[in-house]
Amino acid sequence: MFKLEKSKLLISASAVSLAALFAAGCMGNAAPSNTSYATAGDIAGGVVYPIKNGQTGPYAVNEKALDNSVYQGRVPTANELKAWDKDIQAGGVGLPEGEGSVEEGEEIYESKCVMCHGDFGSGGGGYPSLSKGPAAEGQATLTNNRWKDPEADGPSRYFGSYWPEASTMWWYIKDGMPHPKSKTLTDNEVYALTAYMLAINELSVGDVNVGEDDEFVLSKDNFKDIIMPNKDGFEPKVHGKDGLNNVRKYFAVPENFGAIKVKEDERCMTNCQDTDNIVRVANGGISDFHPPMSVERSMPKENHGMAVTTKKDPVATYKANCSMCHDSYLAPGSSEWAAYTGKGMDKVYANAIAGTPGGMPAKGGSSLSDSDFKLVVNYIVSGKVK
Amino acid sequence: MDNKKSEKDLEVSSRRNFFKKTAVMSAAALAGTTLSASEDDHAIIHHPKWGQTWGDPITKNLYGVPSKYEHNVTRRYTKLLASGNYRASIAVTPIHESEGIITPNGLFFSRSHGGVAHVDPNEFRLMIHGMMKKPIVLTLDQLKRYPSVTRTHFIECPANGGQEWRAPQFNSLQFSKGFMSCAQWTGVYIKTILKDLGLDMEQAKWMLAEGSDNSEMGRTLPIDKVLDDAMIVWGQNGEALRPEQGYPVRLLVPGWEGNLCVKWLKRLEFSNEPWYAKEETSKYTALKPSGKAIQHFYANEVNSTVVKPSPEKPWTDLKAGDVVEIEGLAWSGMGTITKVDLSFDGGNNYVEASLKGLVLPKCWTRWSYLYTIPKDFRHNGKQMILTSRAMDDAGYIQPTVQQEVDVMGVESVYHRNGVESWEVNEKGEVNHVQIRKV
Repeated sequence: MFKLEKSKLLISASAVSLAALFAAGCMGNAAPSNTSYATAGDIAGGVVYPIKNGQTGPYAVNEKALDNSVYQGRVPTANELKAWDKDIQAGGVGLPEGEGSVEEGEEIYESKCVMCHGDFGSGGGGYPSLSKGPAAEGQATLTNNRWKDPEADGPSRYFGSYWPEASTMWWYIKDGMPHPKSKTLTDNEVYALTAYMLAINELSVGDVNVGEDDEFVLSKDNFKDIIMPNKDGFEPKVHGKDGLNNVRKYFAVPENFGAIKVKEDERCMTNCQDTDNIVRVANGGISDFHPPMSVERSMPKENHGMAVTTKKDPVATYKANCSMCHDSYLAPGSSEWAAYTGKGMDKVYANAIAGTPGGMPAKGGSSLSDSDFKLVVNYIVSGKVK
Repeated sequence: MDNKKSEKDLEVSSRRNFFKKTAVMSAAALAGTTLSASEDDHAIIHHPKWGQTWGDPITKNLYGVPSKYEHNVTRRYTKLLASGNYRASIAVTPIHESEGIITPNGLFFSRSHGGVAHVDPNEFRLMIHGMMKKPIVLTLDQLKRYPSVTRTHFIECPANGGQEWRAPQFNSLQFSKGFMSCAQWTGVYIKTILKDLGLDMEQAKWMLAEGSDNSEMGRTLPIDKVLDDAMIVWGQNGEALRPEQGYPVRLLVPGWEGNLCVKWLKRLEFSNEPWYAKEETSKYTALKPSGKAIQHFYANEVNSTVVKPSPEKPWTDLKAGDVVEIEGLAWSGMGTITKVDLSFDGGNNYVEASLKGLVLPKCWTRWSYLYTIPKDFRHNGKQMILTSRAMDDAGYIQPTVQQEVDVMGVESVYHRNGVESWEVNEKGEVNHVQIRKV
């Protein structure tokens, strides 16, 4: 049985070890009375408000509610645990049996992923790039900073160049992809897609450069041999037995994360800046706001008091629901449509209304009637409103 | 840095201000009594139609809605942040219209990674397991049987202001700072539930929180926070969470990255190692000029902004001599706001503002400064630039824009808390600016 005293011990122990790292007097001497309960010791560099004398910070607490047992619920069954405990940890801990090749992965990618993530994971259509080139080249850009040289390229953050663990990719594909219809891929398909991700990022598994080996098969057994170039690109180190202490130490030093501590009565009040250069929003800035920015409290006159019109025309539905993918793939009026319309419009309508395994959501995620949505389909296929 | 001297100056100037203000006010009062309006006000002379006809019966709008005239007070989105067909995207809060420290539920910023899930509360289950003697499954009713606590906390997306590392991009308060909201949450401390489960305190160092939504959004929390003030919440401003906020149940991690407050919660698992979920490596990590990125960057640091005036609601109706309240918000995920200072010259010289209302830990805090509008909105001969700077009881103070980018560079996306500046031009229009070397 877990005892509360033990948790108190753990918290106070970390507070003690941290106390030495905090500059004496950093709490100031004029804090409002309701914050006088604050003590150093938050793992993230802040203060905590221990529950003491029926109080935490300014809040009153019923401490009996914390000391008494109020057990509800039941123990999960083995099958229930198996059904939900499917996370994958670093190095592939938790992976199920299975395997898939780069070739198989490419085939699945072309049918279920390319419409959003682009050819070879190049991105576009509002979805992230899965590769922007060989991992090692991408990783070399991580020190790029457009502050020192505004004309330079920025850092290139993608799977191969940036992510510390490949387990993250497997887990996310399994849980979250394809985005409009998640959790529909088999374990073998996820291995194959992950293998394809390794290939387009030119990552290595052991001494095999997967980018040069279409027949490479990724499996539960060799997953741990995936080499992620940016594995050590993160701070503090959270893995291993010192993980928590590393975090505590890291955030106890404000300079590590761009923060500044100062005593209240020593803060700068006059001549605080070494520059008076004003940088303004260029060219009006980003103003593509929906709905358009307004603080008017009059009602639009033409609508007789109705705030917004709800009737949708096909183009508006297209823009709201379809353009994100279809602007770059099977765009309105595109000749690519010939490959689909050849089988008859009824088939196209049926796919559009029911959704497709490739990730097209039913009716594009709109709530239109079938007949209204067919007008949208007509527009996307022909590029014209009839 | 000669603070004692500046305080004395402040005292003298506030005494002078008092006499000046008194003079202005008497002049205005005098003017009011002697000046007759040129035209009668129609709004006074005639009965309004709402005063001469039946209003709505109480049977209408049994769940109330805002006045139809408030239709522009709404969340907004932009295509720039429209990833995933608006299903991995954000709609932000109109903080230029906010009052007090509570965001109404319908205006609370909305962020999801796989769309807003609509969870059937009858099929809601919460599973807590891993490194404990007695794992547990709870229904919603069972969860709500635990002794509850109610706390007022902000939730802030750590990318709030994250588009503006290199320069200001939005001439808008809603889009510059509206990736956050504040509400009164009701739920149970996780430590209250753990008490009965026999957690192995030697082994359990990290907790995974996982959502049941389309993206199964997950994040890792350190045990320190789990045993301090992390909560599982079902109540928001006195009612059930809205679907956009994770109905029926979300995690609330006071003061820390909004992304850690996992919505549509289904599972908590304990382990001796962290997880490396997608949203704690590929995103929500802050790249520094060294090429190393900060991971597990939990707390939203001390921050503030002027809220009134704003680009959306400027001072174009005010003239020299008018007395106006400059108002703002300050917040810190590290503790409680202790001081807010206000500058009229972009952060070179500061005077202390007053905190007002409730001053709570890890919560929006309102601040106020009464000000007499100078001629052409010029302060000491220069166009006025309003800059606020907050401190918290952990001892942190907001850095200048330059101080922050000198350490963090301009590519880190997350956790930007350098001071915000708002220039008031000669017409009283308000424009977002930054004071920095380049």
